[in-house]
Amino acid sequence: MRVRLSTMRYFLAEGWKSARRNVSLISLGTMAVSIFVLGVFGLILMNLTSINSQLRSSIEIRVYVEDNLALQGLGKLRQGIESIDGVDRVTYVSKDEGLNRLTKQLGQKAGLVDILGENPLPDAFDVRVFNADTTPDIASLISDLPGVISVSYGQGFTEKLLATTRFIGITALILAIILLGAVMFIVGNTVRLSLVARAQEIEVMKLVGATDWFIMWPFLIEGMIVGFMGSSVSGICLYAGYLACIGRLGSVMPFIPIIGEAAPVARLCIGLVVLGVLMGVLAGGVFIRKHLEI
Amino acid sequence: MIRFYEVTKVYPSGATALLSVNTFISKGEFVFLVGSSGAGKTTFLKLLTREIVPTRGQVLLSGRNITRLRPREVPYLRRTVRMIFQDYKLLPNKTVYDNVAFALMVIEKPRRQIGPFVDEALKLVGLESKALAYPDELSGGEQQRVSIARAIVGNPTILLADEPTGNLDMETSWDIMEVLLRVNRRGTTVIMSTHNAAIVDGLKQRVIELNNGRIVRDDQKGVYESEAEYNAVLPG
Repeated sequence: MRVRLSTMRYFLAEGWKSARRNVSLISLGTMAVSIFVLGVFGLILMNLTSINSQLRSSIEIRVYVEDNLALQGLGKLRQGIESIDGVDRVTYVSKDEGLNRLTKQLGQKAGLVDILGENPLPDAFDVRVFNADTTPDIASLISDLPGVISVSYGQGFTEKLLATTRFIGITALILAIILLGAVMFIVGNTVRLSLVARAQEIEVMKLVGATDWFIMWPFLIEGMIVGFMGSSVSGICLYAGYLACIGRLGSVMPFIPIIGEAAPVARLCIGLVVLGVLMGVLAGGVFIRKHLEI
Repeated sequence: MIRFYEVTKVYPSGATALLSVNTFISKGEFVFLVGSSGAGKTTFLKLLTREIVPTRGQVLLSGRNITRLRPREVPYLRRTVRMIFQDYKLLPNKTVYDNVAFALMVIEKPRRQIGPFVDEALKLVGLESKALAYPDELSGGEQQRVSIARAIVGNPTILLADEPTGNLDMETSWDIMEVLLRVNRRGTTVIMSTHNAAIVDGLKQRVIELNNGRIVRDDQKGVYESEAEYNAVLPG
């Protein structure tokens, strides 16, 4: 479809004129709040996914082995672990090295180790897997190998984090549908007002042979403008608000790996603006098609 | 050029507006549609702009059955079959010039072609001097002439007029008829529904009379009332 420059100018002028005439502060505010709430959920989801993937990438299976296992036995066990499908890397951690690590982890409470007298830790292997999802299965296979006392990989924690992420994801999706419905309703209502204002003009257009697309374009552009106005307000607020909050949160809780860079947040906010524009066009199109019987 | 073949139109309410109508109108003809209110005149005209489709039968335009047009083809039909109304349907916020130009702009005529076409149409209806006036600054007759200019701009092949003099006094009505005859002389087929007996009788053009949805009379140089009706009202 080739559109003349003068025609495009007409579409833009009419769309802008109608948007200016029919958009109220209340409808713009409602739309901005709806998209803002959606963005907040998006940010929570983004952070949870990031935390989840960071934790999952650091998952290791700690394999404790029997004390009386000779060097040959350790070598055999290592081979046995390495032969399991999905195992990436196996590192031997002697009981002395294990104690060193424990002492470092305990920090100021390292004195507790001295109370124990002798080193209570067994020799161990740290096992890394290619895919974090296979950790429970591989851990179970390893625990069946001879010479293994026990295995540990933070059972339950990753599953809980994953379930939480999924729950918030579904909640965000349901909320998104409701809020986008609200956005469509607001844009549809604005378009309805301009439809009433331009009823006579549309009648003449149909009478003299304007195509349905020609009649629809100004309404689509109006929807686009309204969608852009609402979503850009919320996008800017969300971007500025998040970066301001994150600075403070980072100093209070430095151990939580929250997304602190501006780029992914900016991408989300731009995505929200694009979504607002698309919803505006869609709402304008659906409404005008219904009411013009095109 | 225009052929109605066994055309019947029954509205969803059950009212039969046209019943087995057959007729043929040649290119360049001037035809009056007469008959009492509800006889089917407006339905006849609306079938030609594809505002409605017949319940049965075919409406052929230059051999093409327009009842079978796809919705997206209808706008292109309306660029060749234009209509004017008793209430003019002018856009009050546009000047005379812009009202006429609007008809070309919305069908995406190149900008450089719009000016000459509008000037020509305004000249034909005698309103060149009022190009910058707004509709509410014009008389009823002038407004109807603007609506004719808007309908004929771009040279449609058929002009339909639904009681175009219905709101006008006799003198102004004759002015409008003069314009319509001028349009007709350019080669545009004109079909006009009217209740104005003086105009029909004065112009002696083809007259198709509808009564209860049927064509009851089709005279080549007809008058408003049939001879039988005319004799019936004569004294003595």
